[in-house]
Parts: sequence; C-alpha cells; structure tokens
Amino acid sequence: MSEKQNQNKIQEKPQCEVEDDIVTRMIILSPSANISQSELVQKLHMLELPLTIKSTCYGAMVHGSKDAVDQAIEKSRQWDPFNIFTKDRGFPPGDPRRCRGHRGAAREGYHQLEKEFNLLCYVGEALKKPEKVKIEKPEKVSVDEFKKIVNENSSKIIDEGEK
Amino acid sequence: MKVAIFPPNSLILADLIERRGHEPLAIMKEIRKKVKDAEIDSPPMNITEEDPIKGLKYAAIEVPSGVRGRMSIFGPLIDAAEAAIIMDEAPFGFGCIGCARTNELSVYYLRKRGIPTLELTYPTTREETMELVNKINTFLDQLEEKNG
Repeated sequence: MSEKQNQNKIQEKPQCEVEDDIVTRMIILSPSANISQSELVQKLHMLELPLTIKSTCYGAMVHGSKDAVDQAIEKSRQWDPFNIFTKDRGFPPGDPRRCRGHRGAAREGYHQLEKEFNLLCYVGEALKKPEKVKIEKPEKVSVDEFKKIVNENSSKIIDEGEK
Repeated sequence: MKVAIFPPNSLILADLIERRGHEPLAIMKEIRKKVKDAEIDSPPMNITEEDPIKGLKYAAIEVPSGVRGRMSIFGPLIDAAEAAIIMDEAPFGFGCIGCARTNELSVYYLRKRGIPTLELTYPTTREETMELVNKINTFLDQLEEKNG
C-alpha cells in the first residue's frame, strides 16, 4: 500500500473508532543528536499525518490515532536512529492537569526524564557499537558463607556495644 | 513478548525493548486509560472505589489503601508480564512512603513470578551505561531465541 493510501486510510477512520485508540508519544532527542527540535517538528509536519505536534525542550510530542503516531515514530527513528528515543505518555499535550504552564513548575515525571536524558548519548553510542556480553546469573549465598557473615557482624556489634 | 520494566516509566528501558520488537509494559499506558475516564478529576492522584478492591489481590487489607490503589495499576502489568527488566537504585525512585512500599512490592512480585528476569543497577558512567545497554540487548535476544 502506498504512503498516500495509508494516510487516507487513517483519515477515513470513523471518529468513534479513532477516539478509542488515541495515543500520545514523546520523541526525545539525545544530547548528541544530529537534528534540532525545530527540524524535528518541521519534518513531523512534512509527514502530513493527522497529528497534533508540539515542540518541547527535549524534542517533540505527537498526539493522534495509534496508526498515525506509529507511522510518525517509525519515520522519526529513521532520521537519526541512534539518537532519537521515544516513550508513551499518559496525558495529552497541554493537559491542564499536567501542563507545566498551568502548574508553574516542572511537571511530574520531568525530573526522571532529565536524569535519563543525560545518559542518552551513551545509550546511542552503545547501540551504534553493540558488543556481546555474558549475563551472569546471581548465585545464592551458601549457608556456610552466610554463617560466616553473621558471626563477623555480630562480633563487631558486640565489640561496639562493650565500648 | 510482553516485558515488564522497573522503574515502570523508564524511557531507556521502554525504548530499548521496543527497538528489539517486544512490548514494554509501561505505566504510561495504564495511566492513559485513567486519563480517558471522565469520572476521575485528577488522575493518577484520584482513584475510584474499585481500585483498592482490585489492589486486594496484591496487598492485604491491613496495607494502606494508597499502596493497594497503586498496586491496582501495577498489578495487572506484573500479571501480564512474560519477562522483566529491573533497574535497581534508580535516582528517580523517590516519592512518599506509599510509593516506596509499592515499588518494593512490585519488585517482589516480579521476582516471585518466575519469569526470565534481568536485574541491573542504574548506570552513572559511560562504561556502565554501555554495559547496561549491551546486557539488555543480549537478554532480549535470548528471549527471542527461546520463543523462536
């Protein structure tokens, strides 16, 4: 199916059906991304999908039917595969219950995004140069070793108590 | 495969799982269901009277209703999980004591499920982050191999 036919199919969906699967996705650019926020938003608009697109400090937010959002996400990943990250968002863009503008401070969840944002350039680097690693299963502590640890710690506590 | 993640709203975990063709069981999708519910004014702060009842499946009646309410959202995700990735010591794991106890309970249930689980520590340096990404990708590839 051509891209135009696909877009028409999304637009032709009945409103009630579309309402049920309306989703919001955040597109987050890593600090080492080769594309800027404004470029990203411009490119998203150029896709001509029936979406609400919001430019944000970390990238963009897309809101619309699941099919259209999935298409936009798939396309956006191609623009910079190792530096564009996406995640779902429960609240629609500009929702007064969460919007920073209405709250007067960072919305809930923003602090976490900020922390994870700092690591995104390393995540992108690891995705670019994948390495094979061995996952070691954590072993259980043997009874003898456990007894040894208990004895060591209990004697320490007794010594400290006597002092 | 449906992969549960902890922290349940982690960007890095959700994105890496999607890149490998799996479905991350993130909290955002559950919150969206609540947001669409016209009866709730301020989700996820408000809960309906049904939520603590649903939470009873995961936490006893003596447990505060806040924990049970939270477990009514986390619990179905844990039940649906076919694999799990747990990231310990995440710096954003703060909140009230209700959140802390719910986090402990969620991790406990994920471990108890007996599904393939990968436990990692939140990275702080470049080397740690790269190791974490490689481990997650290896774990997800192994899941594919097991399931054909």
